[in-house]
Amino acid sequence: MTRVTRRHTICAAAAALAATPVARAAAQAAPPAMPDRPLFGAKQWQLANGLKVVHAESRRAPVVAQYVYYAAGGAEDPAGRSGVAHFLEHMMFKGSPNVPSGDLSRRVAREGGNDNAFTSRDVTAYFQQVEASRLPLIMAMEADRFAAALIPADQVESERNVVLEERRQRTDSTPRGRFQEAFRAALWGPQTWPGRPIIGWEEEIRATTREDLLAFYERFYAPSNATLLIAGAVSESEARALSEEHYGRVPARPAARRDRAPAPTAVHEARLVRREPQAREALMMRAFMAPSLTTDGAAHALPLEVLAHLLGGGQGSRLHAALVETGLAVSAGASYDGEAAGVTEFTLWAVPRRGVAPERLEEEAGAVVARLLDQGPSEAEVARATRQLSAGALLALDGFGAAPRMLGGVLSIGLPADVVEFWPSRLRAVTRPQVEAAARAVLGTAPHSTGWLLPEAA
Amino acid sequence: MTTRFSLPIQVVEAGGFTAWLVEDHSVPVVSLSWSWQGGAAFDPAGQEGTAAMAAAMLSEGAGEMRALPFADALRDSAIGLSFSAGRDSFDGSFRALTDALPEAVRLARLAMTAPRLDADALERVRARAIANARTTLETPRGQAGRAFWAAAFPAHPAGRPASGTAESLGPISAAMLRDALARQLRRDGLVIAASGAIRPAELGALMRDLFGALPAGAPAAPPTLPAFTAFGRQVVPVPGPQSQVILGQPGLAPTDPAWEAAQVVLRVLGGGGFSSRLMEAVRVQRGLTYGIGAGLDSLFRGGVVTCAFATENGRVAEALAVTKDVWAEMAARGPTQAELEEAVAYLTGSLPLQFTDSRRIAGTLMAMRRNDRPLDWLDGRDARLRAITRDDAARVAATLLAPDALAVTVAGQPQGM
Repeated sequence: MTRVTRRHTICAAAAALAATPVARAAAQAAPPAMPDRPLFGAKQWQLANGLKVVHAESRRAPVVAQYVYYAAGGAEDPAGRSGVAHFLEHMMFKGSPNVPSGDLSRRVAREGGNDNAFTSRDVTAYFQQVEASRLPLIMAMEADRFAAALIPADQVESERNVVLEERRQRTDSTPRGRFQEAFRAALWGPQTWPGRPIIGWEEEIRATTREDLLAFYERFYAPSNATLLIAGAVSESEARALSEEHYGRVPARPAARRDRAPAPTAVHEARLVRREPQAREALMMRAFMAPSLTTDGAAHALPLEVLAHLLGGGQGSRLHAALVETGLAVSAGASYDGEAAGVTEFTLWAVPRRGVAPERLEEEAGAVVARLLDQGPSEAEVARATRQLSAGALLALDGFGAAPRMLGGVLSIGLPADVVEFWPSRLRAVTRPQVEAAARAVLGTAPHSTGWLLPEAA
Repeated sequence: MTTRFSLPIQVVEAGGFTAWLVEDHSVPVVSLSWSWQGGAAFDPAGQEGTAAMAAAMLSEGAGEMRALPFADALRDSAIGLSFSAGRDSFDGSFRALTDALPEAVRLARLAMTAPRLDADALERVRARAIANARTTLETPRGQAGRAFWAAAFPAHPAGRPASGTAESLGPISAAMLRDALARQLRRDGLVIAASGAIRPAELGALMRDLFGALPAGAPAAPPTLPAFTAFGRQVVPVPGPQSQVILGQPGLAPTDPAWEAAQVVLRVLGGGGFSSRLMEAVRVQRGLTYGIGAGLDSLFRGGVVTCAFATENGRVAEALAVTKDVWAEMAARGPTQAELEEAVAYLTGSLPLQFTDSRRIAGTLMAMRRNDRPLDWLDGRDARLRAITRDDAARVAATLLAPDALAVTVAGQPQGM
C-alpha cells in the first residue's frame, strides 16, 4: 500500500538543510544534453478483450517484471465502505481456479522471485519479479486470478484481522499516522473520495462483506479497465505472444469506469489542531486543493512540480531558507504530484524546533507564500529547479521497476505514455511565468486547510 | 532450474586500494560504495550519535563551498552522495551518471578531506538528529527496538542507539566530530565495491584520486560481539491499540561453517515473502498480524536471530505462544524435505534479482567483502546450497534455535502479561 511516483524518487531530496539565504547563481553550466527521445521507448498495444499491454525491454540482467494495474483504487470504494479496494487486494492472493490460496506467492518464491501488490487512491496493482525464463508461469497465474478470483468466504474473517492489524500498525499506533489521516479528512471531508483513508475507516473495514469485495472486483477488474506491463529481458514478439496466450483468454466484460462524486470545492474544516500525548515533536501541514494532469487547470501541473521544488525541495528552497536556516524549524518542505485522477493536493509542512511558538512558525510560513505570490519566483530559481528535478532522469534506467511503475501509473489515470516518456524535456520547458501563474492559482486562491500536531506538553 | 546465472566480478587494485567491480555499460551510470569498520562502535559512552552526526556533516559543505553550494553542486548533476555510520561500520557511497562522475569524485573527495563542519550547519544537523531520535520513540516499534538491544547487549556498543539520543546529541561539539572523522577516514582498512559503466583502469585511477589523500593507518577494530544476554521478558508501556514484539536469541557468525544452512532454516521459519511457517501460522491462519519475519542480524562479526511482529494488545499472549510453538517445532524436527527444497530453490533462483541495479550490485559485493567471502563465493553457492540435506538442516535447526531461551520485548499495553 505505497505510492511510487517518479519525480519524488528522483529528486529524493533529503529533509535537507542549507546555509545563508543568499541568492544563488542559476546553474551555470548548460544542463547535460537531453535529446528529446523517449525515456523507456516502451511499446503499447491492446488485446481484443480491451486489455492494454505495455512492453519495455531491458537486457541488463536476465530478469523480468510483470505488473497488472487496475484503474481503480481507494477513491472508488463505495460510500460507507472505505478500504474495499485495499481489502480486495489482500483477498486476490486467496486463490483462483488453477492456483490454490497462497500458492501464487509460494510458487513465485520457489522460482526465486518476489511478488506483492499495492493500493493507492487511484490504482490497485499486482507485481512479480522473476528470472526471465519464468515469465510464462507468472503470467498464467496472474491471468488466472484476473479472470476468476475466488475470494473464498471462509478466509475473509482472518484476512479482515490482518487488514485491521495493518491499519493499527500504519495508522493507529503512530501519532503522525493518526494526524495525517485526520488532516486529509479535515481538508476534503471524512466521507469524500479524496478524504477517506485508502486502508479504510476501522468501522467500515469491520462492516465490509464478501459481497462488497466481489462487487468491486466484478465492476473494476475488467480487461478494458486494466494495463499489463512487462519489463526486462524479453523481446516484444515474446511479450506479444505470451500476453495473447495468457490474457487473451480473460473474458471481456462491460467497461467499468471511475464514477466518482464531484470532488468537494470547499474545505471540510479549515483548521485541525490535535494534541497527542504520544507525540514528541510537533508538525504543521497546510494543504491546498490543486489541479492535476487530469483536471481543469492541467497546464498548471508541471509548473506546480517546479513550484514545490523551489518553495520546499530541501536545501536552497524558500521554506528551507526562511524556516530551517533561521532556526525556527527542524525541517520544512512542500510536495505535489500531478499524476492523479482528479483533484489533488499541494502541501506545505514544517516541524518547529522546540521552544518555537506554533503561531510564529505558521506566520513565517505564510509570509514565505505571500512574498512568492507578491513577486513571483525568479528566473534563476525556476532554472535551478527544472535542472535539479530532471538532471537524474536517466537514473530511471538503472533498475527495471521504474518503467512499469511510471508507465502503469499514468496509463491507469487515462494519460498517454508520452507523459512519462518525455517528462524530462517537458519539465525543462516550464517557464517562470507558468510557475507564477500556477502559484497564484493554487497558493493564492485555492481552498486550504491548516493542521497542527502538537505534543500534549507543548 | 533452467538457467545458471553467473556474475563476472573483477578485482581492481591500484595505489594500495582494492575494489570488486561488476562492469556493465548498458546504462550510463556508476555506483561506488566504500566502508571502514567502526562507525557508532567508536562513539564514546554518553556521546552516542557522534559518528552518525559526523557522517551527516560530511555533505554539509567542504573546502571553499558552504553547505548550500555543496548541495547544489550535487543536485545540479543528480549525484547521490551519502555517508552514514552504522552500528559497526562507517560507509560512503555515490551513484552518478557517467557524465557527472568526475564531479562526483571531486565532491566526495572534498567531503572526506576538507569537511567544513560550520557551526550553523552543525546546529541544523543536530536539531534534525534530536528530532528524529525523539520521533523514533513515539511508536511501539521505536520503543521496542531501543529496549531490546539495550537489554541484549547492556555493556557493548551493540546495545546503544547508533543515531544517538536527545540527551547524547546535545553536547557533541565540532571538535568531537573532527576526532571521530580522524579515527575513521583512513587510507587503510577500506573496503570498496563498484558497479556500472566504468572500466577497471578508470576505477583504479578513480580510487587513487578519491582516497589517496586520506591519512595512512587503518581504523581500530571494534570490539567483538559479546554473548547475547537472555534477558527473559520485558514490557515497555506505550499507549495505543497495538503492541510491537521483538524476540531474540544468539545467532551465528558469518564465518560459521553452518551459516548457509542456517540461512535455509531461517528462510523456512520466517524468511521474506508470504511462504514461511511463521507467516502461515501467525498471519494467514490466525490473522494475528500484518507481517512477521525472523532472520539473522549480523553485527560485530557475530550474529543474533531476531523475530518481530505487531499485534493487537489483547492478542499478544496468543501470538507469542504461536510463535514459540513454531520455533520449538522447527528446533525439534527441522524443515521438511519439501520446505528445504523450496527454500534452496528460492535462495539459488533469486540471485539474478540481486543484480538489476547498480547500487544493489555494489551493495551485494560490499556485503560479501565485509563477510570475508572469497571471490568465487557466488560461483559455488548453488552447489553448496543444494548439497544441504534435510538432516544437515535439522541438525543446524536443533543447534541454533533455542525456543526456551528466547528473550522477548513487548512495547505497548499487552493484556495478560
